[in-house]
Amino acid sequence: MKRRAAICVLPFLLTACAGEQSVLDPAGRDAQVLSDLFWVMLAGAVVLWLFVNGLIFYVTRIAPRPLGRRAAEALIIGGGVVFPTIVLGALLIYALSEMPNQRASGEGLEVRVMAHQYWWRVEYWPDGASEPVISANEIRLPTGQRSEITLNAERVIHSFWIPALGGKTDLIPGRQTRMSLEPVRAGQFRGQCAEFCGESHAYMAFGAVTMPPEEFAAWLEAEAAPAKPPEGNEATRGAALFLSEGCGACHAVRGTAASGAVGPDLTHLASRRTLAAGILPMEKAALRDWVSDPARFKPGVEMPGFDHLTDAELEALASYLMGLT
Amino acid sequence: MTEETPFRHRSIWHMVLAPVVWSLHFASVYAITAIDCAKTGTLDTAQLAIAALTLIALVLIAVITWRSWRQWDYLGDYTYVHDKPTVKHRREFLGHAGFLLGVVSVIGVIFVAMPALFIGSCQ
Amino acid sequence: MTDTFSDAPRNAPRDDDSGKVLDETLQGVYPPSEEMLNRPVDPALRARNEQQLRAAWKTPTGWRYWSAVNNSEVGRWYSLTAFFFMLCAGVLALLMRIQLAVPDNDFLSADRFNQFFTMHGSAMMFLFAVPMFEAISILILPAFLGARDMPFPRLSAYGYWSFLIGGCFVLGSILFNASPSSGWFMYPPLATEQEGVGPDIWLLGLSFIEIASIAAAVELIVGTIKCRPPGMRINLMPLYAWYVLVVGAMILFAFPPLIAGDYLFELQRSLDWPFFDPDRGGDPMLWQHLFWIFGHPEVYIVFLPSIAVAAMVIPTAAQRPIVGYEWIVLSAVGVGFLSFGLWVHHMFTTGLPSISLGFFSAASEAVVIPTGVQIFAFIATLMAGRVKMSQPVLWIAGALAIFTAGGLTGVMVAVAPFDWQVHDTYFIVAHLHYTLFGGMVFPIIGGIYYFYPFITKKKMSDRLSKWAFWLTFSGFNICFLPMHLTGLRGMPRRVASYPEAAGWDWLNMISTVGSFIIAAGILVFAWDLLRPKSRQPLTERNPWNAGTLEWSHDVPAEAWGSRSVPYVTSRYPLWEEPKLQERLDDGRFYIPDAPEGKRETIVSSAVDAVPQAAVPITGPTWCTLWAAGFTGGAFILPVFQMYWAAVVSGVFAIACVIYWLWTATAQVPKKPMRDAGLGLKLPTYVSGPNAPGWWGVFITMLGDSTAFASLVFGVFFFWTARPDFPPADAPLPDAVLAALSGLGFALAWGATVAARRFNRHGRAGLARGFIGAAVALACGAGAALALTVLVPGLEPASHAFPAVMCALAVWTGAHTVLGALMLLYCLAGSWFGKLTPRYDADLRNTTLYWHFLCLSGVITALLLGAFPRLLA
Repeated sequence: MKRRAAICVLPFLLTACAGEQSVLDPAGRDAQVLSDLFWVMLAGAVVLWLFVNGLIFYVTRIAPRPLGRRAAEALIIGGGVVFPTIVLGALLIYALSEMPNQRASGEGLEVRVMAHQYWWRVEYWPDGASEPVISANEIRLPTGQRSEITLNAERVIHSFWIPALGGKTDLIPGRQTRMSLEPVRAGQFRGQCAEFCGESHAYMAFGAVTMPPEEFAAWLEAEAAPAKPPEGNEATRGAALFLSEGCGACHAVRGTAASGAVGPDLTHLASRRTLAAGILPMEKAALRDWVSDPARFKPGVEMPGFDHLTDAELEALASYLMGLT
Repeated sequence: MTEETPFRHRSIWHMVLAPVVWSLHFASVYAITAIDCAKTGTLDTAQLAIAALTLIALVLIAVITWRSWRQWDYLGDYTYVHDKPTVKHRREFLGHAGFLLGVVSVIGVIFVAMPALFIGSCQ
Repeated sequence: MTDTFSDAPRNAPRDDDSGKVLDETLQGVYPPSEEMLNRPVDPALRARNEQQLRAAWKTPTGWRYWSAVNNSEVGRWYSLTAFFFMLCAGVLALLMRIQLAVPDNDFLSADRFNQFFTMHGSAMMFLFAVPMFEAISILILPAFLGARDMPFPRLSAYGYWSFLIGGCFVLGSILFNASPSSGWFMYPPLATEQEGVGPDIWLLGLSFIEIASIAAAVELIVGTIKCRPPGMRINLMPLYAWYVLVVGAMILFAFPPLIAGDYLFELQRSLDWPFFDPDRGGDPMLWQHLFWIFGHPEVYIVFLPSIAVAAMVIPTAAQRPIVGYEWIVLSAVGVGFLSFGLWVHHMFTTGLPSISLGFFSAASEAVVIPTGVQIFAFIATLMAGRVKMSQPVLWIAGALAIFTAGGLTGVMVAVAPFDWQVHDTYFIVAHLHYTLFGGMVFPIIGGIYYFYPFITKKKMSDRLSKWAFWLTFSGFNICFLPMHLTGLRGMPRRVASYPEAAGWDWLNMISTVGSFIIAAGILVFAWDLLRPKSRQPLTERNPWNAGTLEWSHDVPAEAWGSRSVPYVTSRYPLWEEPKLQERLDDGRFYIPDAPEGKRETIVSSAVDAVPQAAVPITGPTWCTLWAAGFTGGAFILPVFQMYWAAVVSGVFAIACVIYWLWTATAQVPKKPMRDAGLGLKLPTYVSGPNAPGWWGVFITMLGDSTAFASLVFGVFFFWTARPDFPPADAPLPDAVLAALSGLGFALAWGATVAARRFNRHGRAGLARGFIGAAVALACGAGAALALTVLVPGLEPASHAFPAVMCALAVWTGAHTVLGALMLLYCLAGSWFGKLTPRYDADLRNTTLYWHFLCLSGVITALLLGAFPRLLA
C-alpha cells in the first residue's frame, strides 16, 4: 500500500518540480549543487521534524510513565546541544566550502547587466572585446563555461535571478556587484527581478537561453550585426513611423537613425522570446497592444502610450518591429 | 571569608560575560574583514587577525567558563537544580547558567571563525 | 560563609558575599520567621485594610474610566487594540490572497497590492507582534511578581495612548490610498524617492510607536529587576520574568538603530540630506544594515515572549516544575545575544564578500542551539510530568509542530548559498510564517486560553477552542506548506500578479483556500474571546492548578491585584508553599494596607530581592492622554509639512510631561518610613541606584546610546564603503570649536556631579549655583557644537559627509537641550522644596543622564573635530 502511494507520488513530485523558473529543475552547475543541497537538507529536516513531533505526540498523548529527571536532562543536553552542534557544524563545512566555487571568476565572456525600472540592459563583452554587443531583456549564455556577470542598477535596487542556473544577486545603484553562472545544459528559461523595485516589480522578468558555445558564438555575431532593413510596404511604413513618432529618442535600432539609450535596444527585438521584459509573448498582436498602452501591462512604466496612432499605423509599426530578427 | 568566596558574584553581569566576549569577537571579526576587503581587496591581514582574535576569545571564554564552573560547584554537591531560597543556590544558579552560556559561546566563536578556513578571497 | 547566616531572619540585611550592610535606612526584621507568618490578623483590622486598599486602587468609573492607568486596565486596552490591528492586517492578507488566487488577476491594482503587503508586514510587526508582548506583559507580569502594578503606571498609559494614536494613523492611511508602498523594509532609493506622504507616514508614525515600545520595555525591565516580591531571588523568578528581562534588553538594543535610521531617512526626505543617495556620496546599503540590525533581533523579540508564555503553560500542563530551568535561562539569554549576529542573513544577496556572509551564516546556525535547548526543555518537562490535555496545551503543541518546521527551514535558509536561490521567494514567505505562527500566534492564543480565567475570571469555551484550533491549524498548513514549493518553483515575493505560464496557479489557489480557513479559525477564536459571558459562572481561583503567583488573585477580581505582597521562597509558591494563599488573603505579608490612601509598591534589590522601600506609584490622570496626543502631533504633523505646528505640539507635549513628573513623581513623603508589616519598616522614598526611577533613566539611556552608536556606525560605514569620504575639497567642521564644545560638555558634567555632591551634603545654595553653572555650560557647549558645523559652512544637502556630520551635531544638540531642561527642573525643584538633600532622586537621575550626555558629547566633538582630519 505504502509503496503504491510512493509510486503515485513520485511522478507527481517530478512534474511539480519541473519548470522554466524552477530551482529544482537545474540547468547550471551552481543550481545543480544547490538543488542537491536542498534535497539533502530536506531529508534531514523531515527526519528531525518527525522525531521531535513524534516525541511531543508520544509524551502528550500516549502518556508514558513519567521520565526520571536525569533522563530528561540528558534529553536536553543530547537533543539541544550535542546533536545540533555536530549536525550544524557538518552542514556549515559542506555549505561554506561550496561558496567560493559559486562565486568563482568567469572566464571569457562577461555580461554586464544594468537594471532599470522595469527592464534590463544587457551588454556582452567577449574576451578582449573593446566594444560590447548591446541587447535587452534576454540573457544568453554559452554552456560548459563560467561567464562573469557584472551588475548595476540605475535608480533603485533590483535582483538578478535565473533559478535554473543559480542564485541571485542584487543590483544596487552606486555599487557594482558581480556573480558568475555556469550553464551545463542548453535550454530556455525564465528569470525575474527578485527584489521589490516599485509598482511594476511583478512585471520585470526576462528570458534566459543557454546554448552550446559554437551556437552561442554564431548568435553573438548575428546580434552584433546592424538591424535588418524593413521588408515589404507595411514594414517600411512602420520604419518611417518609428522615426517620425520619436521612438528613436529612447530606443536604438542599430543601422538606422534611432540611437536612443533611455529604453531597451530594439535592434534584434523579434529574435527574443518575450516582449516587455518577459511579460508578453513575442507576437504581433501583443506588440501592438503594448505600443498603444504600455501602462496597461506595466503600471508606472516610463514609456508613453501611443494610443493616438490609428490601427493601421500600429499594425505597420508592429510589422516593422516584428521584422527586426 | 574571602577564601571561601573567591569571586564576588552578586551581579548577573558575570553570567553574561561569555556571550559578551562572543559578541565582541563577532563584531571585530566582521569589522576587520569588511575594512580589509574595502580598503585592500584581499584578506591577508584579516585572516591573521581572525586567527588571533579567535584564539584570544576562546581563552577568555575558557577562563570565564572555568570560573563559572567553580561558582556552580557541581562537584561539591552534585546539584543542578537551584530552586532553594538561599544564597548558595542563587550563587550556584548564576554559576550554572554562566557555565552553560560559556559552552554555547565557545560553539558560537568556533562556528563564526570557520568561514575564514574555507574562504580566502573577498569575492 | 554559611548559608544559614544570610538566610535566617536577622536585622539589617547584608550584601551576602561581602557582608556589607546593604541599606542602613531599613529597620526591623527580614526575612520574616515562620512564627511571624503564622500570627493571625484581627478581622476588624483586615476589613479596615481592605477598605483602604480598595479606595486607593479604585478604578475610575464613567467617562473617567479612560483616565485609568492601572496595569489591568491599560493591559486590557493594549492587548485588545493590538488584536484589532492584527485582524486589520489579516484582512489585508486575505485581499492579497484573493488577488493571487488566479494568474493575471486584476482584483487589486499593482499599487494597491504594494500598499497592502507593505501595511500587512508593517502592521503585523509594529502594531501587533511587539505591542502584543508589551500588552500581555503589562497585563500579567505584576501578578507573576506578586506586585500590585507596574513601577510606572502612567508611563504604561502614555505608551498605550501613543500606540493607539500612531497605530490608527499608520493603518488609517490605507483607507485614503496613501499608504507607504515600498515594503515594510522601506529600502532606499525606492522609498526615499517615492512621491506622496506614504514613506513619511511609515517613518514618523512608526518611530512614534517605537518610542512608546521602548518606554514599555524600560518599564518591564525595571519592574522585573526592582519590583519583585521579597525573597524572590533571581534563581526563583518565574521564567516569564527572565524572558521579559531578555526581550526588554533586546528591544533596548534593537529598536534604537532603526530609530537612528528613521532619523537619517526622514532628514533625507524632508531636507534632502543625501545619506542614501549614491550620486552624492551616500549609500543605500547603510539603511539595510541599520534596518536589519533592528529587523533580525525583532524576530526573536516577537518569538521569545510567546515561548515565555509556553514556559508558563507547560509546567502547569505537566503538573510539575519546569525541567532545566537553568537551561531555559541559558537559552533565552543565548538567543538574545546571538540574534544580534544574524542581521546580514537578510542581505545575503547584496554582493557582500562571501567571507562576511560566512560569519552570519555561522551565527545563524549557532542560534539554533539555544532555540533547540528551549524546545527540548519543554519536551523534557512534559516527559517528566503527567500531561493533562487542555485547551492551552493543544495550541502549544500545535505551535511546536509549526515552529519546528519553520526552524528547520530556517536552518536551510541560513546556509548562504542556498539562500541565494530562495531569498525573496515564497519559500521565505512560508518559512517566516511558519516561525511567526508557530513562534508567536499559536503560543499567544494558547496563552490567552490559559490566562483568560485570570484576566476575566471566566473560562473560554472548550468546544469553540477545538474548532478554532483545528481550523487555524489545518488552514495554516494548507496555506503555507505549498508556498515552499511555490518559492522553489521560482515565484518571487511581493509580486502583484504572475503569468499563467509560470505554473504557479494551482499552488496559489490552494494557498488562498487555506488562508480563508485560517481566517475562519481566527474568527471563531475572536468570537470566543469577545462573546458576552455575563451569564457564565466565575471560575474557581486557580482553575488549572498552576503554581505561580498570578493565580492567587481574588475571585471576583479586586483592583489591588495582590492583597499583600508575599514573601516568596520557591519557584512555584502555590505548589510548594501551601500556607501562602491563606496568609496572602489575610494580609499577613507586606504592605497589606494603604494608610495614606496612596497606591504603593515594594522596591527590592535586583539580585536577591531584599526589600528596600515601599514607594508610592502614580494613579489615574488625564495628563498621559494629553501628553500622548501632543507627542503624536509632534510626530504626525511633519508628515504634512506643518513643521511649526509640530514644534508647538512638541512643546506642549514636554509641558504635559513636566506637569506629570512635577505633580506625581519623586514627591517628598509625609513620613520618611512606613510600617510595611511583618516587623519591617521601609523608607517611603528612594533615590540613586536603589530607585526604580534611576533604573528607568539608566536603561533608557542605554537605548539612547545605542541609537547614538548607530549614527557613529554610519560615519564609519561611509568611511569603509565610499572612497570619497570626506570629499577632497569639502570644508571640514571647525576643530577649535569642536574642542571647545567637548570641553563644555565635560565641564557641564563636572558641575552637575558637583551639584549632586553638595546637595547630598546639605549645601543646597552651593548646589543651586552649580546647577546654574551647568546649565550655562551646557548652553555654551551646545552653541559651540552648532557653530562647529555652521562656521565652516557645511552644506548638508551637497554630500553625505557634511550631512552625517550635521546629523550628529543635531542629535547631540537636541540631547543637550534636554539635559539643560532637566537641570532647570532640578533647580526649580530645589527652589520649591521638591528636591532636598535627603530627597534628591531628580538630581541623581539628571546626573546619570549627564554621564551619558557627556560621553556622547565628547565623542561627537572628536568625530567632528578630529576624525575627518585623520582621514583627510
